[in-house]
Amino acid sequence: MAHPNARSAKELAAGGLAELQLLHLADSALPIGSLAHSFGLETLVSEELLDVARLPEFFEVYLREAGLVEAVFCREAWRIGNTACEAFSPASWLELNEKLGARKPSRESRAASGALGQHFMMAVRNLGDFLVIAEAFDASQSSRSMVHHSAAFGLSGGALGFAPDSVVSAFLHQSLAGLISACQRLMPFGQREATRLLWRLKGTMVETSEKSALCTVDDVASFTPLLDWGAMEHPALATRLFIS
Amino acid sequence: MAHTQELVSPARTGASLAARIDASLFLVFERRETDGATVLSEAAQSPPLRVIRAFPTEDQSALVHLHNVSGGVLGGDRLALSVRVGAGASAQLTTTGATRVYRSRSDNLSAIQINDIVVDENGLLEYVPDALIPFAGARFQQRTRIQLSSGAGLFWWEILAPGREARGECFAYDRVGLRTEIRADGRVIDFENVDLEPAKISMGAIARLGVYRYWITFYVCRAGVESSKWLAAEAHMRETAAPWCKPGEMLWSVSALPAYGLAIRGLALSGREILPALQALWSSAKAFLYGRAPILPRKVQ
Repeated sequence: MAHPNARSAKELAAGGLAELQLLHLADSALPIGSLAHSFGLETLVSEELLDVARLPEFFEVYLREAGLVEAVFCREAWRIGNTACEAFSPASWLELNEKLGARKPSRESRAASGALGQHFMMAVRNLGDFLVIAEAFDASQSSRSMVHHSAAFGLSGGALGFAPDSVVSAFLHQSLAGLISACQRLMPFGQREATRLLWRLKGTMVETSEKSALCTVDDVASFTPLLDWGAMEHPALATRLFIS
Repeated sequence: MAHTQELVSPARTGASLAARIDASLFLVFERRETDGATVLSEAAQSPPLRVIRAFPTEDQSALVHLHNVSGGVLGGDRLALSVRVGAGASAQLTTTGATRVYRSRSDNLSAIQINDIVVDENGLLEYVPDALIPFAGARFQQRTRIQLSSGAGLFWWEILAPGREARGECFAYDRVGLRTEIRADGRVIDFENVDLEPAKISMGAIARLGVYRYWITFYVCRAGVESSKWLAAEAHMRETAAPWCKPGEMLWSVSALPAYGLAIRGLALSGREILPALQALWSSAKAFLYGRAPILPRKVQ
């Protein structure tokens, strides 16, 4: 017997409502708090390793490395969430988030991802009676486990019945929009240029989303040592605009 | 006394030394009840992987040099290192020189290294090898799985060189994959998986290595130590690393893992200062966590 949650998602998907809802969840205003994090970009800019001219190349590589890892976890979370409530596995959900946390060597970036994921799930939970989302959130809260942003987005998208490719692409778009927004506050990078960059990166987002379907959370690889350095050394900056 | 067993590798009995090698090294360290010293109680080895003996150190630990008597790793080789440090025992593993990974033969097979490490309750493992140098055309895949029981400690570093720089080789290898998983008290606290194909990606991209060529990872762990201590350790180690950070030459970073440890990362333009920097970080971390200095291998003194 189909769970009411799944039936509701099917109904919501009719007539373009699903697309509107996904647009809503992927809005740059969400998750609450995202404007406070640079995930190490502030260090790279402060140390003059990253400037406006290098942003396009930087974000292309970011998407193909760190972005791919997040996309794979987002897709796996979609699979965990796209189920009837009685089939939902809290253990799989908690393990997924633990594995993603273990892939983040930077304490601040890990905490930032956890804070954004929690805020995202709280926001979605308040939008309706979504049993899988509520159960996943409660499981994380009761075990005092982190909910990472990509996992929260994927699980929510799965529980609401959105298509997995769209969910992963939308997550990448939301996270990139947040990082580009951080760059606008860190360097002389105007709104027009920021919009153009985000537009140009959409093809890579789709490619990354497609590639994420070919990887598992255990085999996806990433190599971003200089970005990791920036994120890990962020606490040492004398003056900081961002929490991470 | 160690029970050392030499296993005959089928691959080495073939007609050609170029045949694929299946080699393994299985080491067990135990704490001797009579005096508390650590001994190498079991050592099973098949060439070309070898240990000669375990040397006792001043702090009652056991020091072992890992040898690859063939001089390097060839494509298609399958090497397995299995280490168990028993409850309360303490072992230090190092190498006698850099690990050279040679050009893959015409069959394009990767060399594969599997490391399976277990440290039992209140044991300690210090793994402080020389660099991994993948030659032009090399293909190498390493998988490392480390399990720490309650109270178990770990100092584990690895250095990935860009190639034989003296011959002008820089990122001329075909492919290097390094995967490391650390579990402590049953919880995964680190998972690193890199898969590098320099011909297909720009190693010098800003998000990757930038101007740097060497990549260093150093894990400092002790299962069961509470998170507030790791925040203090992070700050302490960042101070230790600061004098070694010279933008354009070498960078270090330190951050607390989700639990029970620190990740320390380094980027360097040349290999010259890496071991002295790691020695300083190791000494500082061991003093912070264990209240004593490490016994340094002669090559880094």
